[in-house]
Amino acid sequence: MQGSELHPLERTLLSFLRDVGEAGESLILERSGLPDEGSYRRASQWLLSRGFARESSRTVESFVELGPLGEEALAAGGMPELLLESAVAAGAVDIAELQADARFDPPRWGSALGALIRAGALRREGSALSTAAPGAGPFRACWETVYEPLRSGSRVPLGSLTEAVRDLVLSRSPRRGRGRAEFVVVEKTSHVLAITPEGLEALDASDGEAAGAVTPAMLADGSWRKARFRRYDLDMPPSKIHCGRLHPYRSFLDAVRRKFVAMGFKEMRGSLAETEFWNNDSLFMPQFHPARDIHDVYFLDTDSRAGLPDQSTLDRVASTHEDGWETGSRGWEYRFDRAQAARAILRSQGTVLSARTLASGPAVPGKYFAIARCFRYDQVDATHLPDFFQIEGIVLGESINLRHLLGLLELFAVRIAGATEYEFCPAYFPFTEPSVELVVKHPDLGWMELGGAGLFRPEVTLPLGVEVPVIAWGLGLDRMAMLAMGLGDIRDLMTSDLSRLRRTTVLPDRILAEGR
Amino acid sequence: MPKIEISRADLASLLGAEVEEGAGSIRKPLLKLKAELESCGGDALKIELKDTNRPDLWCVEGVARGLRAIRTGRMDHLADLPPAGRELVVDESVSGIRPWIAAFAAGGPPLSALAVEALIASQEKLAGSFGRNRKTAAIGFYRLSGLTFPVTYAAVAPTTVFHPLGEERPMSLDEVLERTEVGRRYAPLLDGAAGYPLLKDSAGMVLSFPPVLNAEETGRISEGDSEIFCEVTGTDWHTVQLTAVILACNLEDRGFSIEPVRIIYPGSSPGGEEVCSPVPYADTLTAGFDLISSITGCPADPDAISDALSSMDYTSWLTGPNEVRAVLPPYRHDGMHPVDLVEDIAVARGFDAYPPLMPPDFTVGAPAPEEETSDALRTIMTGLGCEELLLPVLQSRERPGTAPPGAVSIRNPMTAEYSAVRNSLLPGLLGVESASGHSSYPHRLFEVGEVLLDEGGRLLTEIRLACTVFGNEAFFGDAHSILGAICSQRSARLSLRPAEDLRFVPGRCAEIMIEERPCGMIGELAPSLLTAAGIARPGSAFEVELAAFAIR
Repeated sequence: MQGSELHPLERTLLSFLRDVGEAGESLILERSGLPDEGSYRRASQWLLSRGFARESSRTVESFVELGPLGEEALAAGGMPELLLESAVAAGAVDIAELQADARFDPPRWGSALGALIRAGALRREGSALSTAAPGAGPFRACWETVYEPLRSGSRVPLGSLTEAVRDLVLSRSPRRGRGRAEFVVVEKTSHVLAITPEGLEALDASDGEAAGAVTPAMLADGSWRKARFRRYDLDMPPSKIHCGRLHPYRSFLDAVRRKFVAMGFKEMRGSLAETEFWNNDSLFMPQFHPARDIHDVYFLDTDSRAGLPDQSTLDRVASTHEDGWETGSRGWEYRFDRAQAARAILRSQGTVLSARTLASGPAVPGKYFAIARCFRYDQVDATHLPDFFQIEGIVLGESINLRHLLGLLELFAVRIAGATEYEFCPAYFPFTEPSVELVVKHPDLGWMELGGAGLFRPEVTLPLGVEVPVIAWGLGLDRMAMLAMGLGDIRDLMTSDLSRLRRTTVLPDRILAEGR
Repeated sequence: MPKIEISRADLASLLGAEVEEGAGSIRKPLLKLKAELESCGGDALKIELKDTNRPDLWCVEGVARGLRAIRTGRMDHLADLPPAGRELVVDESVSGIRPWIAAFAAGGPPLSALAVEALIASQEKLAGSFGRNRKTAAIGFYRLSGLTFPVTYAAVAPTTVFHPLGEERPMSLDEVLERTEVGRRYAPLLDGAAGYPLLKDSAGMVLSFPPVLNAEETGRISEGDSEIFCEVTGTDWHTVQLTAVILACNLEDRGFSIEPVRIIYPGSSPGGEEVCSPVPYADTLTAGFDLISSITGCPADPDAISDALSSMDYTSWLTGPNEVRAVLPPYRHDGMHPVDLVEDIAVARGFDAYPPLMPPDFTVGAPAPEEETSDALRTIMTGLGCEELLLPVLQSRERPGTAPPGAVSIRNPMTAEYSAVRNSLLPGLLGVESASGHSSYPHRLFEVGEVLLDEGGRLLTEIRLACTVFGNEAFFGDAHSILGAICSQRSARLSLRPAEDLRFVPGRCAEIMIEERPCGMIGELAPSLLTAAGIARPGSAFEVELAAFAIR
C-alpha cells in the first residue's frame, strides 16, 4: 500500500502503541485486539518497514514449558508430590502400601516424598506417613501457576512466578539439556515496539473511514465530497476475462485473402464434392494417371451427381484426351471413359475451381484466386491432414507470357512472404507447360518452397472455350501458418481442445511481411 | 515423384567426367532435368525426379545422358541398328491377357557390379512406377548364351511346371501364384485369365512367367556377363516400347551393341504384324517463332534455340525463316504439343534469359460474396463473446450430432475417423465441448463452415453458421439470445416454428425461420446426445444457413 493509507491491522496495532507508548510482544498479543500471532507479525513488519513504529528495545524473556516428566504429571492429573499428599490425607499411611500404588512412578515418589517432608507437608515415622502441614511447599502453587496455564495454552513467563515456584522450576529444569526433566525454561527474544512521530501522523491522517467503491448513492446525495477513497495496489496484472475471438488460422487466411484482393484478384468458390471431370479430366490429367487412383483421392459412396458440364464441353474434353481434338496436340491416345468422368469425389486440388472458372466465361483480362479446402487420401500425422487449404488461382490476358508468370511469382515472393531472395526452378504439372517452381528466403523462416505456376496447356484452355493465355498458380502456406502460430504439429491447426486453442495466437501481419 | 539412389562413381564413369564429393557441381544442371539432388553421402546420391512423363531419367544412365547433353550437346542413340538376327513369336493366346512384348539382345564388355546393380534398380523403377506395378510393363533380363531362338510367347495352362528363380524345386504356375511372395503380389494382374503367359525358347527351356518371375536356369544376370537378352511384356503398347528403348539406351551407354529381335504377332499390332524391337521413338514437334516468342515473351533467336535444343538432346533444324522442327531423342515419347518444345527451349536457356515483368493488366479485386457475409457474421459472433472454431470436414459415419438421415460416406476411407463428410457443424462443436471440460466456462463456441448434403440425387455444398453454448446452466434462451442478436444486427426477421429433432430436447426444439423461410434448427441439446458425445454439462445450440443472412 502506498502513501499514508493504513491497513486495518496496522491501524489496530498503531492505536494500541499510541495508547501504551511501547509494548512487548506478549502484551501486544494479550491486549491490542489483534486476532492472532500471524496478524501481529504482519502488522509489525509493515509498520517497521514504513517507519511508523520502531524497536525501542529488545528483551529476552524466559518462559516455562513442560518437559517429558512434566507432560507425564499433566497426564496423571497431578505432580507426584500432590498425589502423595492427597493420598496421605485420604488415609494411606503405610509406605509399603504407597509403594504398591500403581499411580506412583517408583523413581519419582521417593524424591517426591523427600521433597514433601523437607517442605514440612508430611511427617514420617518409621514406615508410616502422616500429614504435617497441609498445602505446605510450593507444589500446589506450582500446579496452579505453571501446569494449569500451560494446559490451557497460555504462556508462563518465568518472571510471573513467585520466588518459591521459580526456584522449584529452576531446580527441575535441565541445565545442560540432559536427562528427562519436569520443566524446560525457554528464552524468547521479544521486540518492544514503540510508535514513531510519523506513525502518529499517519494515525491522525487515517482517522475517518476510507471508502472502497464509488456508489450511485453517494453520487446522488453528494456524500462523495466527504469521502476518501482507499488507494489501490496497481502493481498487479489484470484479471483475466472471457473474450470472443476469431480462430487464429482463419485470421491468417483472412489476411492472405486481403492481400490477394489488394492485388486485384477476384475470389472463386466451389463445392466440396466434385466430379472427376472437373477435378482431373478438364485439367488434361489422363484417366490412367497415377495420382487419380484410390490411394490418392476420396471417392464418395453415392449415386447422386456432383455436377458435370454440358454435353458439348464434355465431348470436347473427351476428344482432347483421346487425340488432341483441335488443340494441335497428340492427346493421350487412350479411350476416354465418360462413366469415370462422372464419378463423385471430394475435390483434391484447388485448380478445380480454376477449371470451372475457365469454363464459365471469365473476364479477360482477369485475375482470380481461391482459398479452397481440399482432401487427399493420406495418413494423418504431424505433417499431413486429410483436409487442408490450397491457395491458387489464374491470370488471363491477351498477351500473358512466361515473363509475366515470373513477374507474378516475384510479386508473391515479396508481397506474401516478404522474401529478400528467391529462385525459379523448372517444374512439372500435368496441366501447365512451361511450369516454374518458386523457392524463397523468408526473413524469419529461411529458405522454403512457396509455390509454383505455369501457363495452362492449350489442351486445358481451348476445350473450355478460353483462347487467351492463362497463368495458373498455387501457393502452399500451411508451413508459414504453422510457423506463424508456433505449432509443430499440423493437426493443431484444427484442434478441438479449447485450452490449447486459447493459448495459440497469430500475428499474420508479422509473418506475411511486405518487403521489409 | 520417383526417387532414385545412384552411385556417384557410376555416374562419373557414364558421364566421362569426375563428380566430386557432395556433387555440388551437378545441382544446377539437375534442375534443368526437373531433378532435385536431395542428399549426397559418400557414394550414394539421392535424387528426386519431378516429371512423371520422363521415365528415361529414373536411372543413373538417364541422369548421365541428360547431364552429358547439357554439357556437350546432342548425341546419337540406337542409330544404325543392325537388322534383326533373332525372332520372337507371339501366340494368339496372350492377346486378351498381356498382348504386347518388346525384346532385344545386347553384347558388350563384362558387366561391372555397379552396372548390374543399376540394371536391376532401373528394372524395378520402370516396372514399378512407369509400368504401374508391372501391369502395363514388366521386364526380364536373361543370359543370352543359354537360349535357343526363336523364343515363343504364349499363354499356357496354369498347371504348367517350371523351375522358378530362387526356388528350390520346380512348381506349377498356379503354385507360384499361391506359394511364392512375388507370386501372391502379382497374382491380381492375372485374375480371370484363361491361361498364364510364359516365355519359352525352342529347346523347351522356360525363360520366365511374365509378369511374375524368371526361371532359374536362364533368368539371372550377374557381374561379368557380357551377352544379355532383354524382354518387356505388358498391357500398354507405348509403355512397353518406351521401356525397351530406355533399357537399350542404358546398355548402349555402357558400351553394349544392341541386336534387334523381330517380334512376330498373330495379327496386327500398333507397330504392324512384325516389329523389329526395340523401336526407337522419333517424335517430331514443330514450333513457329511467333509461338515461341508469344509464350516466352522474348524474341526467338535461332542460334540460341538451336543450342538450347541440342543441350536437351534434340535434333533440330529450321524449316523456314521463322519455324523450327525438332526430333525428340529416341527415349522420349512425351512431346504432345508444340508448347512442350517451347518449354524445353526455355528450360535449356535458363529462366535468367527471361526478365520478369509485372502482369500488365489492371483488374479489380473482390472477395466472394459469401465471404463478405461470413466475415460480417463472424464479427458479430466475436462481438457477442463467442470463440471461433475451425474443424475438419471429414468425420466418422455415426458421429453424435450428425443430422438425420446421415452423412455422405466415403467409399475408400483410410480410417473410420474420417470415413464420411459432415452434413452438420454440430458434431464438430460437440467434439470440442467433449475435449474441453477443463477449460474455463462459459463456452460459447461457433463455426462458419461448409457441409455436404445429398438431396434429390444431387450433392450440394452449403455454408452454415453453428453455435453452441455450454455451462453449468445452459438454457434454450442462451442460444436464442445470440441468434436474436445476429438477426437484429442483420435486419433479418426471425421467428421459430416448433419442430422435432432427436438431437434436441422434445418441446425445446424449433426450426429457425428467417423472413418466413426455414433455414436452420435451434434447441436445447438432448441429454442422450450429450451422453453419446461424452459431454458432462448441459447446452443449447443453433445451426443456420449463411445464405439466410446474405444481402439481397
